[in-house]
Amino acid sequence: MAGAWANQIIQGILLGGLYAMFAIGLSLSVGIMRFVNIAHGDLIVLVSFLLLTLTTRLGVPLLVATAIVVPVAFVGGYLLQRLLLQRVLGQGVLSIVLVTFGLSVIIQNALQGIYGADTRLIQGGGIETETIQLAGGINIGMLPLAIFVFAVALVFALDLLLYRTRLGARIRAVSDDVASANLVGLRSAHIYAVAMGIVGVTVALSAGFMSVWTNFDPTSGPSRLLVAFEAVVLGGLGSLWGTLAGGIIVGIAQSLGAQVDAGWQLLAGHLVFLAVFLIRPQGLFPK
Amino acid sequence: MPVTAASDTSPLLAVRQLSVFYGQFRAVDAVDLSVRAGEVVSIIGANGAGKSSLLKAIIGQADRIEGVISYCGEDLAGQGTAEIVAKGIALVPEGRRLFPSLSVEENLHIGWEVGRQGEIGIEDVFGFFPILKERCRQKARELSGGQQQMVALGRALLANPRLLLCDEISLGLAPVVIDSLYKLIPAIKARGIGILVVEQDITRSLAVADRFYCLLEGKVTLASRPSATSREVVMQHYFGL
Repeated sequence: MAGAWANQIIQGILLGGLYAMFAIGLSLSVGIMRFVNIAHGDLIVLVSFLLLTLTTRLGVPLLVATAIVVPVAFVGGYLLQRLLLQRVLGQGVLSIVLVTFGLSVIIQNALQGIYGADTRLIQGGGIETETIQLAGGINIGMLPLAIFVFAVALVFALDLLLYRTRLGARIRAVSDDVASANLVGLRSAHIYAVAMGIVGVTVALSAGFMSVWTNFDPTSGPSRLLVAFEAVVLGGLGSLWGTLAGGIIVGIAQSLGAQVDAGWQLLAGHLVFLAVFLIRPQGLFPK
Repeated sequence: MPVTAASDTSPLLAVRQLSVFYGQFRAVDAVDLSVRAGEVVSIIGANGAGKSSLLKAIIGQADRIEGVISYCGEDLAGQGTAEIVAKGIALVPEGRRLFPSLSVEENLHIGWEVGRQGEIGIEDVFGFFPILKERCRQKARELSGGQQQMVALGRALLANPRLLLCDEISLGLAPVVIDSLYKLIPAIKARGIGILVVEQDITRSLAVADRFYCLLEGKVTLASRPSATSREVVMQHYFGL
């Protein structure tokens, strides 16, 4: 019995890696640009469908397809910020919420129109079925493990980028005070757009992982956004390591909830989120 | 008539008939002004006389302007702040405007990145302000007001400006600290940098200036040299008596 619970905790931690992947991009846009992108989940689903086309229609292996999509997502993120989001930034919270909500609706309907409402999954070339046997009858899937390790590495890399490079210092400067940045001659619109390009890269990477692990359809975005949002708030706004921890907490809660009753999986995650939010509204590791 | 310096060089900065607007409000009204290389020019005037608006217009941050701002003979109309700073105009903004979560070194380096990347390096700034070298890993928000002003001035100098704009650098600081900041002005001037100083403190402002302009309600009421003007005359134009 104890073995089953231990197993669920380990599976939950690994699931948390995927949730952290969803949430890292959102954490960056909340922490740097200080807005919540309602279309974040839909963008992940959009890139997943792009990967679907590349792998099934054109026969490109998933790894190669992801390598193609990452730079495209950087440019896409840059242009999205520069041409659309930048126009409503600084006009109050409502404008940006409405614009990204509209974007969410557009993406969902466009995907429905192009791909239909079917549920999809991309073949990962065998990695999704490989497992490692641990003592006590615990099995660890290679894919969840790889995703978890990658999520930790990504948080580490982004933390270095933000706190140890000149680009990171410029991004933090604009995030500190846009008006001051403009006054001393920083190109804040360009710097924000680069930051959103980096968010785009994380979106593409999480789409690559999600599309082999979980089913997705054109309306999957909002549920991904919800999990990402919970991870960001749990971890504390602006803290990437906190977001990773938040993702893991939601993952464990869901996994343990599912152990009690399969129907409890999602609810358990939300309840733990609410409980932590009530006790520590600033999150676990606020900046 | 504005008093021009007895020099044959064309001015670094020439402002002609400049008006600056905030919506319908005219903050600066048809001002003529010039600064030459290696010259310290002061702008004095009461609160709301248009001093800061004038500096904002020069750096490309005003809402709407009329008239001409020409720098090294080139009209700055339509240029963004980033382009203007890269050409060699740097501002020490009122209230310092540092990036509080960035370290001292990161704040200073941003000045270098946006500027002309010339002979003044970070070691020169540490030479001017040795305390900043000790504090270079600390966050800007952890510094005292005077140290923050040193970072703000250092950041502007690292842009290697040919024209330095200083907006109220003495505001809220202790006299000793103000002295240490103003002591640098001759050294900056000696590098051939033109300096435009906006200051509430008339005595300090006139002590350091080669020439000065007095602004009242957006208009130039007096343009002269400190040595050629009595305090009474300055006060009359300052208050518009």
